[in-house]
Amino acid sequence: MTTVPIGTETEVTLRVNGEPRTISVEARTDLADALREGAGLTGTHLGCEHGVCGACTVLVDGEPARSCLMLAVSATTHEITTIEGLADGDEMHPVQRAMYEAMSFQCAFCSPGFMMSAVALLDREPNPTVEQIREELSGNLCRCTGYESIVRGVERAAAILRGEG
Amino acid sequence: MAVQTSGLGFVGQSVKRVEDERLLIGAGRYVADVRPEGGLHAAFVRSPIAHGRIVSIDTSEAEALDGVVAVFTGADIVERTNPFVPMLMLPGMYTPLFWAMSDERVRHVGDPVALVVAESRALAEDGAELVVVDYDDLPAVPDMATAMQSHTPQLWEKANGNVLLEAVDTYGEVDQVFARADRVITETFRCQRQANQPMETRGTVVEVDADTGHLTITSATQAPHFLKWAAAALTTKQTARESGQALRGMRERLDAFRSGAGSFFGDNQESLQSQDNRGMVSQLRRDRSLLKHLPGMALGVLSSEDFPTVVCQDIGGGFGSKGSTPREEIAVVAAAKALGRTIQWIEDRVENLLDGGQAREEEFTISMAVDDDGTLRGMRVEADIDHGAYPGFPVGAGITKSMQKVYFPGMYRWEAYEMRSRIIATNKGKHIPYRGPWANETWVRERMLDVVARELGMTPVELRQQNMMGAEDFPTRMVTGPTLDETASTRATLVRALELLDHDQIAQWRAEADAAGRKLGVGIACYHEAAPGPPDFFEALSPGSDLFAQEEAKATVDADGTITVFTSQSPHGQSHETTYAQVAADEFGVDIGDIRVVWGNTDTTRFSFLGTGGSRGGPIGGGAIRKTSRSLREQVVSQAATMLEADPADVTITGGVIHVAGVPSRGLSYAEVAGAAAADQGIEDGAVFEAVESYAGKGDGGWSCATHVAVVDVDLATGQVAIPRYLVVEDCGPIINPAIVDGQVRGGVAQGIGAVFYEHAAYDGDGNMIATTYLDYLVPTSTEIPHIEIDHLETLTPGENDFRGVGEGGMIGSPAALTNAVEDALASLGAEVRDQYLPPSKILELAGVIEPEE
Amino acid sequence: MKSAGFTYHRPSTVDGALALLAEHGDEAKILAGGQSLLPMMGLRLARPTHLVDINGLDADLDFIAAGPDGLRIGALVRHANAEHHPAVAEHGPMIAAALPLVGHRPIRTRGTVVGSIAHGDPAAEMPAVCVATDATLVARSAAGTRELPAATFFEGYLGTGLRDDELLAEVRFPAWAPTSGGAVVEIARRHGDYALVGLACRVDVLDGIIDDAALVFLGVGGTPVRVTAAEDSLRGQAPSEALFAEAGRIVSTTLDAGSDLHASAAYRRHIAGVLTNQGLAEATSRIGVTA
Repeated sequence: MTTVPIGTETEVTLRVNGEPRTISVEARTDLADALREGAGLTGTHLGCEHGVCGACTVLVDGEPARSCLMLAVSATTHEITTIEGLADGDEMHPVQRAMYEAMSFQCAFCSPGFMMSAVALLDREPNPTVEQIREELSGNLCRCTGYESIVRGVERAAAILRGEG
Repeated sequence: MAVQTSGLGFVGQSVKRVEDERLLIGAGRYVADVRPEGGLHAAFVRSPIAHGRIVSIDTSEAEALDGVVAVFTGADIVERTNPFVPMLMLPGMYTPLFWAMSDERVRHVGDPVALVVAESRALAEDGAELVVVDYDDLPAVPDMATAMQSHTPQLWEKANGNVLLEAVDTYGEVDQVFARADRVITETFRCQRQANQPMETRGTVVEVDADTGHLTITSATQAPHFLKWAAAALTTKQTARESGQALRGMRERLDAFRSGAGSFFGDNQESLQSQDNRGMVSQLRRDRSLLKHLPGMALGVLSSEDFPTVVCQDIGGGFGSKGSTPREEIAVVAAAKALGRTIQWIEDRVENLLDGGQAREEEFTISMAVDDDGTLRGMRVEADIDHGAYPGFPVGAGITKSMQKVYFPGMYRWEAYEMRSRIIATNKGKHIPYRGPWANETWVRERMLDVVARELGMTPVELRQQNMMGAEDFPTRMVTGPTLDETASTRATLVRALELLDHDQIAQWRAEADAAGRKLGVGIACYHEAAPGPPDFFEALSPGSDLFAQEEAKATVDADGTITVFTSQSPHGQSHETTYAQVAADEFGVDIGDIRVVWGNTDTTRFSFLGTGGSRGGPIGGGAIRKTSRSLREQVVSQAATMLEADPADVTITGGVIHVAGVPSRGLSYAEVAGAAAADQGIEDGAVFEAVESYAGKGDGGWSCATHVAVVDVDLATGQVAIPRYLVVEDCGPIINPAIVDGQVRGGVAQGIGAVFYEHAAYDGDGNMIATTYLDYLVPTSTEIPHIEIDHLETLTPGENDFRGVGEGGMIGSPAALTNAVEDALASLGAEVRDQYLPPSKILELAGVIEPEE
Repeated sequence: MKSAGFTYHRPSTVDGALALLAEHGDEAKILAGGQSLLPMMGLRLARPTHLVDINGLDADLDFIAAGPDGLRIGALVRHANAEHHPAVAEHGPMIAAALPLVGHRPIRTRGTVVGSIAHGDPAAEMPAVCVATDATLVARSAAGTRELPAATFFEGYLGTGLRDDELLAEVRFPAWAPTSGGAVVEIARRHGDYALVGLACRVDVLDGIIDDAALVFLGVGGTPVRVTAAEDSLRGQAPSEALFAEAGRIVSTTLDAGSDLHASAAYRRHIAGVLTNQGLAEATSRIGVTA
């Protein structure tokens, strides 16, 4: 039994990108704010804070989830992956490299959410059709691109991951 | 034809984005990512009612809350600031003066009335909930029709009712032409309110240096230099006497100001002399309070010891909405100055929908005088723009009106044209420029041409081809004045689009749709836009307005050979860091990786009134970079020529090696040349060579043109519309980076699809906004936006710089093509499309499947 | 847009959770997936002073069980887990049909089937499916366990028969008969949006004759809405295109739908008729009956 009284802060340890991060949060602090402010991982963006735009999408135990719709205090039992956790040192993740090559984004504010959704999709379905890609990305809003370059980026990522890159 | 100097040829290639190296790994730095140690957070208390008077405001409970540092009421902020004064005044227009926050009266839901500063945003919101405001309701003015009824209260007491502008612009003998034409066809078209909605909301971090009081404002703004001066002018509040005292003993500054002003007036004599002062007359006739505030503001700025530094880093889109200086940002600056503490305000999405900027709510009655043989002769337009409550700053509904006035005739031959415009205040969020602010002229004209074609028994293509000006007509002028030259290639884009259409396939699709209870339709729209336009475009728009089109750039070479170009643009998705590096690399003859692009810091970049907006990034910003790079290259070549004992005319640069043409083996690097010059001049670090050039696009001009073709497939059972084909044939001249241009076009078309089928910034009859979350304001997703085909014509521009603008066009053409396609699809059912917004309910009403709602 | 403050409790047993609910009553809210509750709290439209997080109670509440009595889904089963669970596909075909229509994948990763029912949003799919399948809702409190029929559970917009001290611990769906066909169809503005109108439709066909039918609409009122007149018109009849069209006509003419920003009442009535046709055709085709 854990209790965090109103108006107090508590220390939580989140597992983020394979590392434990102990940070101080209020009960009401959502996972996105905890990542951004507590852990300094500002690559996760907040676009709407009500679960629609998808910019804050992270992986929770490998599945895409809205970090604005999870409490930090409730996230301690999960493995969290953020955009900062994709690259291997200086080497971009295949999804990042593909988005670079496809010139997928413009302002890129939405890009972390799209890339996390794309990683989850390709993990589940290595050979998605264009329709599947569009459907899977439909929980992420982009205002700049008209989506085509992002869809191409996911196709490219699938090819790279299949070893055709 | 333009001279390209380097031959390395980065320009024209889809060079991968430099920005992506940081953005894609989560290392971008957007305004919300800037979190200074010890910074405070702001939240606004906003009016829950559309219109009313503030009777009382009690902040005591909020102030008592742990974690709340201060609460500022509207009155507190008014006391510390100057009003937002009219900037671009137009003949016949009155622009209300307004304050960063409201102290006596609220004019829309979301109007800020108190500002809570606390240790965290959550605590600031807790505090905001505890502020008790008592309002006396006034009748709400939710729409233009209500606004103009005689018993409706006035939003702004010095306006003419709720009409802020009333103007008539006449070109040619309109009455005569109308009287002589075979027939006159009249229709009314309405466009719903939309919202720009970048994925990143507005935001600012105002840091106060504890020792000096210097302000550093990190902001998501399209116009950093304007913000700097706005922040300085609006938050420096002192009486004329105080300013005068401060000015005494400041001879040096006054002299510097006089000399600066003198050079400004000298450089821009022509533009300044042609300024149209009738706008000022209209303003002062209604409200002389401008005269009361201006001297104090001017003297306040003049006597200031220090001005804010504005810094822009990565910005998450704008589409016009971050060009206006937010009222909230000025309030936060004033609060930070008052407290001497750093304050951050990151707008949330509800706030952004309420007052982050809205646009396009306009109504048009258009008459076309035509002959039975299909000749277009005259056009009359009455346009009403729903201004919302507060003016955009510096640019509001007035610029929409001016641009519509010039553009409405399109690429067609008209003998005469008249436009009557009104700008009308309502209790809604403010009207601001949104990607192609004038775009509804294309929508209405192109929609109307289809109506006329049908009435005359012609096809839409026949009517357009018969009346559209083309190469054999050039040079000529639009009826509104601007010169059309060979870059006005709209007809060529139409011809190309028709070639690319597969008419057999469309016929087959039509048959398949008919058999399946659906209807297929094809819609075409053509336009041209000044990008940047010929010099006389600005004359037609508003005399002297070319002053705002020009831009300076700076370039330096350091002693170690580092080349840096400084742009006054404020990129927010347009990839300037890549495209300007391409342009500069070609000019300097170096690799793209050897160019550093600096933007967004007002301490290091040159002043620009507008920043990024108006499709100016390629032609004006890019032109300035090209011109400045050329100028700096000459300096480097001149120094190298001395070192190589050669004539500068014989020196060339390839792959970063500066050498005599044909003798690359005896070459110098930039580091060697700059190092030698540094040694000569005794420079240890910093710039060895520096160039600053101003570029105005004058004399080069240039239009961007396009034809959009939409094919829609309407499901008569559900009213849902699929877009099996969408084609854009565009001409923005030589392209710097094709992938980036395609991205601009597709993004614009996507916003047009949103405008027609999904997006409505709706208000109810009491002036309550009812689309305040993303569950109700529907930004289209990847499943709603189809593949968009793009074909490019690249007509060269005469003159020094051949890039033309492309940022806005996608959104200008698409609503017309889409709504024309819907009417074509439903024509056999008697549908007449007069609204831009066509949600499924409306589609089925048009198709006669369901009854229209009362 | 940050939630108001609250006291957070993460009990380690179900009884612990029930004790907290008994103590705090209407000041407490259960947090399971949080995909509806947390946005409402962010907007400060919901402001519980106590939040009882049941996410630690997987052992008791994260189960999908199928047997001769039907299908049971516990309070911590995520939409995404149910969506891909073979027992759901086999024993709860209507639930399986509805799940892909619930929000977008990232919402389904966290959101729970039972939470969606307890939230009682009339535009959501799960409440309508519960009504169409005669599901039973199992509510637990410190005082005991109640079994509530779905038919009367949904009382009004976001209002259900749950008491403040109760946890909706599971939902039970009766065994799915091989003679039953089900379909969930809907029209939304955009992919993944709440439906403008949706239909959870079940048809039982015995010897070529419709024995029973359920037509439950979502998005057209404060609760899932059953159109009994249309259901009655189907019973005792052989499935046919004309029969389905007539049912659709009855639905369109009798349904009382409202207007809002996204669609007019006339549109919703019309679409309900279209969906009736489509849903009945789909439901019957699932059991090999062609209209």
